[in-house]
Amino acid sequence: MSRRRVVITGIGMISPLGTSAGECWSALLEGRPSVAATPASWRQYAETASTIWAPLPPIDWPAHGISRIEQMQLDTSGMLTLAASTEAIRDAGIAASLADPKKKTFRLDGLAPERCGVFMGTGVGGITSFYGNAVNHVMSPLKSVLADPTSLPPMPPRFNPFGVPAMMPNAVSALPGIRWSLGGPNLTFSQACAAGTVAVGHAFRAIAAGDVDVALCGGAEYLGDPYGGIFRGFDIARTLVTEGSDPQRANRPFDRDRTGFLFAEGGAAVLVCEEADAARRRGARAYAEIVGYAENFDGYSIMSIEPSGTRIVAMIEAAVRDAGCTTADIDYVNTHGTGTAVNDEIESAVIDQIFGSKPLVNATKSLTGHCIGASGGLEAAVTALSLAHQTTHACHNLEQPIRDLRFVRAAGPYRIDTAITQSFAFGGHNAAVVMKRIA
Amino acid sequence: MPDTGIQERVASTIIDVLKVDADLVGSDKRIREDLGSDSLDSVTLVMALEDEFGGSINDNDAKSLTTVGDVVSYISRRVEEKSLA
Repeated sequence: MSRRRVVITGIGMISPLGTSAGECWSALLEGRPSVAATPASWRQYAETASTIWAPLPPIDWPAHGISRIEQMQLDTSGMLTLAASTEAIRDAGIAASLADPKKKTFRLDGLAPERCGVFMGTGVGGITSFYGNAVNHVMSPLKSVLADPTSLPPMPPRFNPFGVPAMMPNAVSALPGIRWSLGGPNLTFSQACAAGTVAVGHAFRAIAAGDVDVALCGGAEYLGDPYGGIFRGFDIARTLVTEGSDPQRANRPFDRDRTGFLFAEGGAAVLVCEEADAARRRGARAYAEIVGYAENFDGYSIMSIEPSGTRIVAMIEAAVRDAGCTTADIDYVNTHGTGTAVNDEIESAVIDQIFGSKPLVNATKSLTGHCIGASGGLEAAVTALSLAHQTTHACHNLEQPIRDLRFVRAAGPYRIDTAITQSFAFGGHNAAVVMKRIA
Repeated sequence: MPDTGIQERVASTIIDVLKVDADLVGSDKRIREDLGSDSLDSVTLVMALEDEFGGSINDNDAKSLTTVGDVVSYISRRVEEKSLA
C-alpha cells in the first residue's frame, strides 16, 4: 500500500502568549513575549539564579469547556489539553454531538471513532498534582505538632482523591480520547522537550500507514507549582536564562549573549491531522501537509546534546529523505532554539552543515519560552501556520547571531514551500517533522 | 428548619456533580439509588461540598449521608458549629 497523505486541518493552542491559536499567532508576529518576575513567594524556599519566567495568561476555564468540577479533578496539563483539543476540533470544522451529558462526552460527527487516534506528548504529565498531594501528605501531620501551624507554607486544602488520574502522564491522551469518544490508538510520548514533535510524527505515521484516518496530536505541559520547586530543578541544573539588565531582552536564542532558556509555566497545542482525501471530501481547509518524520537517539548524555551533532544530522537528513525531498528544498527551519549555550551552538552548526544559509531560521521559544513537552506541538502548529500564511515570526531579541545563518530578523511575509520543525530532548531524543505548503 | 441558602447551595452542588435535573433533588431523594451517584461521583461530591463550604468532610461522616436531606442537615450543623468556613 502506498503511503497516504496527511494534512493538518485544525489547530488549538494555549501558551504564555495567549489562550487561543489566534492570540498566540498574533503575539508571535507582533513580537510580544510573556516575561515576568517569578512569584515572590517562591523565594521563601530558595534563591534561584534565574528570576524570570513566562507565565500563562489568566485562563477562563469554563469558557474553554472545563467545568468547576473538572477543575477540581484534573491536573492543569489535562485542562490545557482539553481546551486546546476543543479549539482544534472546532477549527477543523468538525461538529461534535453530545454523547453523555453526565460524563460530558461528545461524538465527532461523520467520523468513525475507532478510526480516530490520539498522540500526545508531555514531559512530566501531572507533576504539579503529585506535588500538591505530596505536600499535603507530609505537612498535614505537622499541623498538629507545631506550636504555630500558621507558620507552615500554604498547602492544598485536601489530599485530592483524583490525584492518581491527575498525575499520570497518559492523562493528556486519555482525556481528549474520552471527551471526543475516540476509540483508535491512544498514545502518550514522553521524550521531554521533544515529546510533542515525536507525538506529531507518530500521528503522521499512523495516518500515512492507514492505521487511523484522523488523529489529535501535539503536546501539553504544566510546570507552575506553587512553591517553584519544578523551576528550581531546571535552575539548579543551570539551564535557565539569567536576566542581566533587562528581563525583556534576556531570552535570546542564537545570540552571543544568550544565557539559557526561559522557563514557561506551561501550554498545550493540539493539531487535527487527517488523511488528505477524506479531509478534501468533507471540504476541510488544510494548513499544511505533513510529508516526513524521523527520530533517533544520541546515546550520549542524559542532559546534554552529543557535541559533534552527528546523530542530529543523521536524524534531520532522514526526515528530509522521508519527505521525498533534498536538503536544498527546505525553506524554513523551526529550530529547537532554546537559548542555552550548548543547544544553540550545536544546532546552528548542524543547520549550517546540512542546509547552509539558504533557509529561514527562527526560534519560537524566543517568544513562548520553553514549554517543555508542549513545545514540539506548539512549534509544529507555528510551522503549519507559517506555511499556511506564508508569514513567520522573528527570532526575538537576536542581535548578534552566533553563526551566519538566515535568521528571521523581522516578522512578515516569506515564501515557504517546505519546512522542518525539530526538537532535541534531555535524555538524547531527537525528532523532526517536515511539512509542505498546500499547493 | 435548615437555612434555605445552604439548601440551595447543596442542591446546586449535587446538580453540578451528578448532572441531574433540579426538580429531582428533593430532600428525601437517596443520592446513590435515586440520583444515580456511583463511587467516583460520591468522592467528587464530597470534594465539591468541601470546596463550596470550605473545611473538610471526613470519610465516616461522608458515608453516613444517604439522602439530600442528610447532606443539608449535616452541612447546616457543621456551619452552625463553625467547623466549616
